Amino acid sequence: MRRSTGTVIGAAAVALATLAACAPGTDFGPASNGSPPGHLTYAYFTDGPDEKVTRDLIAEFERRTGATVDLQILPYSELEQQLQGRLAAGHAPDIARLTNLSPFRSDLLNLSANGADIGDQFLDQARETTSGPAGETVAVASDLTMNGPLVNTDLFARAGVALPPKDRPVSWPELLAKAREVQQKSGSPYAIAFDKSGARVAGLYNQFGTNYFGTDGAVQLDPAKAAAATRLFVDLNNDGTMYRDFWVQSGTKYEGADDMFLREDVPVYFSGNWQMGQFDQEARFGWTVLPNPCAERCGGFPGGKFMVALRQTTNPRLAAEFVAFMNSRQAQEKYAEKAHFLPTRKDLLAEGVDYPRRDAEMDVFLDDVRRTDPAAFSSAYSPGMDSTADAVVDELAAAIVGRQSVPETVARMRTSAQEALEASIP
Amino acid sequence: MTTTESPPATSVRPPSARKRGVKPWNQRLAPYLFVLPNMLVFGVFIIYPALNGFNISLYNSNNGRAFTPVGTKNYRRLFTDEEFWQAAGATVIFVVAFVAVCTAASIGLAMLLTKPIRARGFFRAVFFLPVLLSPVVVGLLWSWILERRSGALNAILGAVGLPEPGWLVSGPLALGATVFVGVWAHAGFYTLIMMAGLQAIDSSYYEAAHLDGAGAWHRFRHITWPLLRPTTLVVVILAMIAGFQSFDFIYTLSGGGPLGATTLMVQYIYEHAFQSPIQYGLAAAGSVVLFCTIFALTVLNFLYGRRKESM
Repeated sequence: MRRSTGTVIGAAAVALATLAACAPGTDFGPASNGSPPGHLTYAYFTDGPDEKVTRDLIAEFERRTGATVDLQILPYSELEQQLQGRLAAGHAPDIARLTNLSPFRSDLLNLSANGADIGDQFLDQARETTSGPAGETVAVASDLTMNGPLVNTDLFARAGVALPPKDRPVSWPELLAKAREVQQKSGSPYAIAFDKSGARVAGLYNQFGTNYFGTDGAVQLDPAKAAAATRLFVDLNNDGTMYRDFWVQSGTKYEGADDMFLREDVPVYFSGNWQMGQFDQEARFGWTVLPNPCAERCGGFPGGKFMVALRQTTNPRLAAEFVAFMNSRQAQEKYAEKAHFLPTRKDLLAEGVDYPRRDAEMDVFLDDVRRTDPAAFSSAYSPGMDSTADAVVDELAAAIVGRQSVPETVARMRTSAQEALEASIP
Repeated sequence: MTTTESPPATSVRPPSARKRGVKPWNQRLAPYLFVLPNMLVFGVFIIYPALNGFNISLYNSNNGRAFTPVGTKNYRRLFTDEEFWQAAGATVIFVVAFVAVCTAASIGLAMLLTKPIRARGFFRAVFFLPVLLSPVVVGLLWSWILERRSGALNAILGAVGLPEPGWLVSGPLALGATVFVGVWAHAGFYTLIMMAGLQAIDSSYYEAAHLDGAGAWHRFRHITWPLLRPTTLVVVILAMIAGFQSFDFIYTLSGGGPLGATTLMVQYIYEHAFQSPIQYGLAAAGSVVLFCTIFALTVLNFLYGRRKESM
């Protein structure tokens, strides 16, 4: 009996020791995802309307090259973990769509060395982020987003308030005065709304002359300028201009204020161009887009995604060719038109894109891209951006409820940004 | 000095294994073979991840990769992290309230639902129904009900002229709301266990007490409560484990807000493990601390229960 128990325990120990061989830091041998020749896998997350056009473009690539591409749609919230798991196991996809390159820097394929000479065709502000240590292209900024105010034109009309001009930005006090007048006269519960997002308020900081991170990659957040922006935001929440609960409740979870805008609870809503498709279908009222208001400077805050090929690919030239094709002028124009994204190619940015729907609104966003300070792009593409943005949401909520003063809030934001940067850089 | 005589060699024949009642090897092995599949699954999906989790807690993982050993650094960082202590404090408050209310509610409901009342089956189904709902659905459902401006609860309160509090905006109210929603979602299951415990009590005790003129309170105090104690212990332990592991419905209900007031330890672990920058080591250290806490409290509960039994 005792001997049998010993045998069972021994067998269990051997099984555990075998399993423990997969402990952290294990070398999985030479990286190779094992895609057969002429086949690519593309790990993708979708914002909605972009999926169909992505599939159409893939079909076109397959027709042209005879290759096959397996589009693997992943939930955005799990993208980073899933990709890391697959990289660690040696089964990475050939291509991926990412929002943050820094966790994957050492895994990115040198596109220039694999026949895709596409580095200089894209937004200069993203160049540093998409380049490797020797200046080689390791990623392409595949689409661009821009924050900005969307306005309910019906509420403005009902209140008898003239819309601010669409061709030139107004100041913050001017926009606020109009929004409050509409709130008062139309009876809407609030005057403005911001998505609960550190990226959305980053536009406000940029307009007040500072950013989370500067062009040198270091933490910026000028204390005086950041305090002025923070004070305005806190006041807007506490004087009834904004719905205070929205920023205080629900933790650090992202929450869009699109529901409030669609319910006509606010005449002015700070979000971005990715809302175009949704509002075009769902809004039962007239709406348009205005340029971002100006404080010390004008412009908004950018965001966007990158397309990369991963070094584990067994088809590096085909992978580089795919990235080049998907970001060719023709493909990117089609992608931008259908998905209501802004282009990242310099030629398309200069000439503009003719959007079949909401073209005038998309032009407002494009004009704001041109007005936006370059440091905003550095901040948006910083490896510390994501966790800083989460921390900013927390700190602003604490300031709104009066748990901490505005200078304390800014100091804590700076500390969080510094910690985020240190934790994100390998 | 005494001497013993050895028996003659011929009489030392060992009794055969069969005579001693020892089964042949294949029969001795059979029970282990039956439990082997379960043990394998348990080992692969419970024991190994737990051990590996402890192992990972001794590593630093920059952005979830490039693991480097750091000894106990993650534990030291954990215990000096203000957010961790806030989450630990909220967890303790939540668990104590959740266990107390769940246990009391399940005893009360079980007593009510074992009585021969009209539509008893319907009421049993009503109280058990929330157990069947996905925790995400529970969280979303109650977040809509409790929203200050557009929620159903405040609409009713407003209609009868009562104040309309921000249920998910003030820290204590939000924590209270999460306890309430947790109890609402789980109490049906514990009620079922309590009902089984109540039905196992011999009705002759109640009949005798009734004849002796004992009132309802005395019957509860001297019959129901003592005989229900082992079942209550099981419910307390299960509720405590569920309380410590609560995350999904809270995340969809309050997101851990306002200002971290409803961020419990599992959410703290989740945020560090799955939100950028991914820090598996720190999250694993938090998991180890949570596991040790639950394990220690469960053992204490069992020991306390056993002592009570023997008294």
